[in-house]
Amino acid sequence: MGSGALKRKALLAAVAMTTVLGTAACGSGDGGGSDGDGGIADTIKIAQVQDQTGAVAYAGLGASEGAELAIDEIEEQGFLGDGVKIDLEKFDTAGEIERASSEMSKAMGDRGISAILGPVSTQQAATVAPLVGRQKVPTVFTQAGGAGVVINDYTFRATPPMESYYESVMDYLEEKGAKKISILYNATFPTFALLGEDDVPAMAKDRGMEVVQSLPVQMTTQDFTGQAQQVAREGSDALVMLLIAPQSVTALGQLEDAGYDGQVVATSVQAAGNIKAAGDSADGLVYPVPFSVAMEGESSQAFTEAFKKKFDKEPNPYAADGYDAMWWIARAIKASGDSSREGIRKGLEQVAEEGFTGAMGDLTFDGNDARIDGVLVQWNGGKESLATAG
Amino acid sequence: MQDLLNAATLGSIYLLFALGMALVWGTIGILNFAHGATFMFSAFVGHLVSRETELPFLGVIGVAVVTGAVISTLTQLLAFQPILKRSKSQHHAEMRILIGGIGVAAIPLALAQRETRSSPFGFTSSYKAEVFEILGLRLTTTSAVIIVAGLAMGIGLTLWLRRSRQGLALRAIGVDAETSSGMGVNRTALALGTMAVAGALAGLAGALLTFHLGAIAPETGDQLIIKAFAVIVLGGLGSMLGTVIGAYVLASAETFVLYMNWGTWVDAVSFGLIFLILLARPQGLLGRKEVRRT
Repeated sequence: MGSGALKRKALLAAVAMTTVLGTAACGSGDGGGSDGDGGIADTIKIAQVQDQTGAVAYAGLGASEGAELAIDEIEEQGFLGDGVKIDLEKFDTAGEIERASSEMSKAMGDRGISAILGPVSTQQAATVAPLVGRQKVPTVFTQAGGAGVVINDYTFRATPPMESYYESVMDYLEEKGAKKISILYNATFPTFALLGEDDVPAMAKDRGMEVVQSLPVQMTTQDFTGQAQQVAREGSDALVMLLIAPQSVTALGQLEDAGYDGQVVATSVQAAGNIKAAGDSADGLVYPVPFSVAMEGESSQAFTEAFKKKFDKEPNPYAADGYDAMWWIARAIKASGDSSREGIRKGLEQVAEEGFTGAMGDLTFDGNDARIDGVLVQWNGGKESLATAG
Repeated sequence: MQDLLNAATLGSIYLLFALGMALVWGTIGILNFAHGATFMFSAFVGHLVSRETELPFLGVIGVAVVTGAVISTLTQLLAFQPILKRSKSQHHAEMRILIGGIGVAAIPLALAQRETRSSPFGFTSSYKAEVFEILGLRLTTTSAVIIVAGLAMGIGLTLWLRRSRQGLALRAIGVDAETSSGMGVNRTALALGTMAVAGALAGLAGALLTFHLGAIAPETGDQLIIKAFAVIVLGGLGSMLGTVIGAYVLASAETFVLYMNWGTWVDAVSFGLIFLILLARPQGLLGRKEVRRT
């Protein structure tokens, strides 16, 4: 055998060895992000591409804590098999759409990443959703309640859209005997624009209520003196306030200054202590949440206790989102028996068909989109309690 | 009438914020994009201190004013002055200072975002705003203080710049920095003093606005900086009286849009109005006409 033939044989052997080792790595070992090759990897890498800084950092950071708690539980229980680890890699979208797009591309480009917890804001999520479908990476969004997010087989949402559980607020107002309502809404925030312009007026009409005033504002509106006085002058029975966190604090104080004494109802954005800075002005505020520490269900209570033990503070709805999203992914891996991207996608669909019980209670799904009943809470003296119309 | 009163309050808020920025830009030629962060961080320090010990109204104001002055002085010492020293001329330094300001602003913003998780923050104070009615008009004590403080600071600064020796020296720097240095004006010391005053004004605005709104977010300063930029350009760069008028014109336009319930058109209409005014008077309402030598 000549030296040339020997070299060729050595080269072939090296290629064969590399292929074998490569296959072994994909099938059982690190990452496991490749497509549909079966089995559960020893370490499963999940990316969290959410705001860790910026205007809605509270949502991304809350989701991080919830996801970390879920990972602890999954690993401790050996839910995916003995010694199977989940590695959560965080990418900060910093409140910017362009950044969300580039960080998602980075995460999707890493073949070791099996699934993604997607951006929390609708604008960011809707921008990256088509990319997710093209790159075929299962992505579970939390929050991001607007349209254009759950649009293909690879996009999933663990937080129910606000309009799907806002009926409870209108039921509450009906029970309170409200006939005339005002709406003050941030028209540049997609979820609130949808609620303020379409859903709330439709729900009010169904209940025989009249929308006597509709006041749109922008994301940049900071002073609500004029709007508060308009609301007070109109004197409606209730105000549906659909504003982001700092706007709500200001609006509540200025509504009080303007002498408005009707019932104010708001949204889950006011949860997570975001309304605390309003002090006494926020007392009596009612809003629906997908999760509250006041929830009495067994799974919600268990989550609250475990969260308090790990972080020495009470969980907020964003933490519940992250927790349920991570458990959804874990259940998906177990259901399909496959931690690859394609395996997780199939598993997420399987779990969604059956639903599961998590921090937010019993989750059912409309396609890939979560649904829950939610609860109505009232803020009083710096604490949430379950709201009753009586 | 109530809407006029609301416009006066909003205009005074814009004015208090814009005054420091206008002073620095119109005299020592620094367009300080860290002004919004100084404003926010002064209020944030007020929040942190008042969280530990409940403070009266003036106590919070004092903490915020001192914090603003310190941040602004440090910004000048550690960022803008070194940039100016390393640049061939003021003209060469302008763009670097602008970028430097944005970089400086990112630090307090990140610190406040980290601490608050971008949730709104306010003060723990023994002060509680009261609402009083005069001739059917509702006004809070905070709004009254803001209107008085805005007008007093605006008119005071205008008079100081026009009538005092330091004001004359600052205006001389604004016209021709090199020649004024040659005439004995200590540019470095005046620049430092001007930045300190601007920072103190940012701190005052931060505290008063937080009292007025109940709470602000770490990003609030970024939103106000665009308004201040518009107010200064509308009033005419270099004219403090122009800044005063610009602030009330912008606030009146915004209040009118709100009165008409065109809430989402606030920025479009008010900035459109500014654009139209600048088409007719490119130098702004009270700005000097630029003389170009060829």
